[in-house]
Amino acid sequence: MPEELQKTVRGFDPEMAGKRAECDGGGQFGEKYMRREEFAGVLTGEYEDHGDPPWRWYLMKDLYRKPDHYPWDSVWCQKGNLYLEGE
Amino acid sequence: MAKNPLHTKLCDMLGIEFPIIAFTHCKDVVEAVVNAGGFAVLGEAMHTPDEIAADIKWIRNKVGDKPFGIDLVLPASVPPTGDLDELRKQIPQEQMDFWLDMKKRHNIPDPKGKIDLHQWGGLNKEIARNQLDVLLDERVPVICSGLGNPEFILKDAHERGIKVFGLVGKARQAKKEAEAGVDAIIAQGYDAAGHTGPVGTLSIVPECVAVAGDTPIIAAGGITTGQHLAASLCLGAVGVWTGTLWLASREGDNDMIIKDRLINSTADDTVYSDCISGFPMRVLDCTWTKEWRGDDAPKVLGAPYQMLLSSDYIQAANDHRREDLMTEAAGQGVRFIESMKPSRQIVLDMVEEALGVFENLTGMEAF
Repeated sequence: MPEELQKTVRGFDPEMAGKRAECDGGGQFGEKYMRREEFAGVLTGEYEDHGDPPWRWYLMKDLYRKPDHYPWDSVWCQKGNLYLEGE
Repeated sequence: MAKNPLHTKLCDMLGIEFPIIAFTHCKDVVEAVVNAGGFAVLGEAMHTPDEIAADIKWIRNKVGDKPFGIDLVLPASVPPTGDLDELRKQIPQEQMDFWLDMKKRHNIPDPKGKIDLHQWGGLNKEIARNQLDVLLDERVPVICSGLGNPEFILKDAHERGIKVFGLVGKARQAKKEAEAGVDAIIAQGYDAAGHTGPVGTLSIVPECVAVAGDTPIIAAGGITTGQHLAASLCLGAVGVWTGTLWLASREGDNDMIIKDRLINSTADDTVYSDCISGFPMRVLDCTWTKEWRGDDAPKVLGAPYQMLLSSDYIQAANDHRREDLMTEAAGQGVRFIESMKPSRQIVLDMVEEALGVFENLTGMEAF
């Protein structure tokens, strides 16, 4: 596998910073299942791009909606699953 | 003679005979369904890139040029950190004591091996990205994204002749993925096995059809019969995505205990509970789910703590093949799994049932 495909690029997108958004999130659960979870909060503008073409993720903080007992105060959200407030 | 109502846009898109998609974790089911004229998707979310490449080679050897798909659960959100050992120490004593008492009362043994704790978040972004790159390199006919929006790979996939399907639990996700240009959308309803969205199959399918424009919609959730297939087509879907249906098939690699339970279960034997993962999911009722809805049960913890608590139980149940403890994700259509049929027979029975529905409705021979 080409090395460059695994590269992660971190950056800051001022256009997204401070925007309120929802994320229809989730991921793998166990060996065979997936789970759905929803978040809402404020985007910091920080992003990570994984691979080429870039798979973009934005960091969301100040979560005002998150799964019960979600122990963290932030979450990385895939760009395609983000819904900006008013969008 | 009327047009064959089962020959849909999905059949033309994939070059298949019947608009039936089997989602399975068993390669033998893929082989059987594809060679029977349906389409099958192998779930590979937790496999390494090398394992995925080997499975693709195996399937190609068995089905030749016929198309098949590979499903990855592309994460849609991931937490900033994922130290499970640290989280495990934070499980409240009340819930831990409840589990230890249950363990004693039901004589639940320890798991035989190291507990297969999965990383919180399942897959990190880097691993998922590497899995995807294998699918692109191998030019697998169809890539299915079981959760996250696959828009970022569409260009590369389409340039390689790969079709991309996305599975959604809400209409707004369908709209976004359709606008991005996915080739088909699987609309999964609440009736499904595992972690589902909150909207029932009968509602989410037409809702997605309404917002997805020309992008074909495939119905998922509780679909186990030809009647379900016919109903899905009437709702505007171009085919059905089925999972539970194959768990008790002859080729399916589930434990015989689970197959027997599926065959003898009805929708009432499935429960929608958050006590396994901390998120609501539909599974076969078992000792664990019964205990957690008892009068003396403490509050179910949220994820990831509940998942960490249940992992000992689940692995012990499977390691020791304890019928009273074992469970499996199962959709509400489980009632219609009545015997351990070969996958080919399941496909053909479903087709015959669906054609029968259309014949009854129209009074004409359907095909």
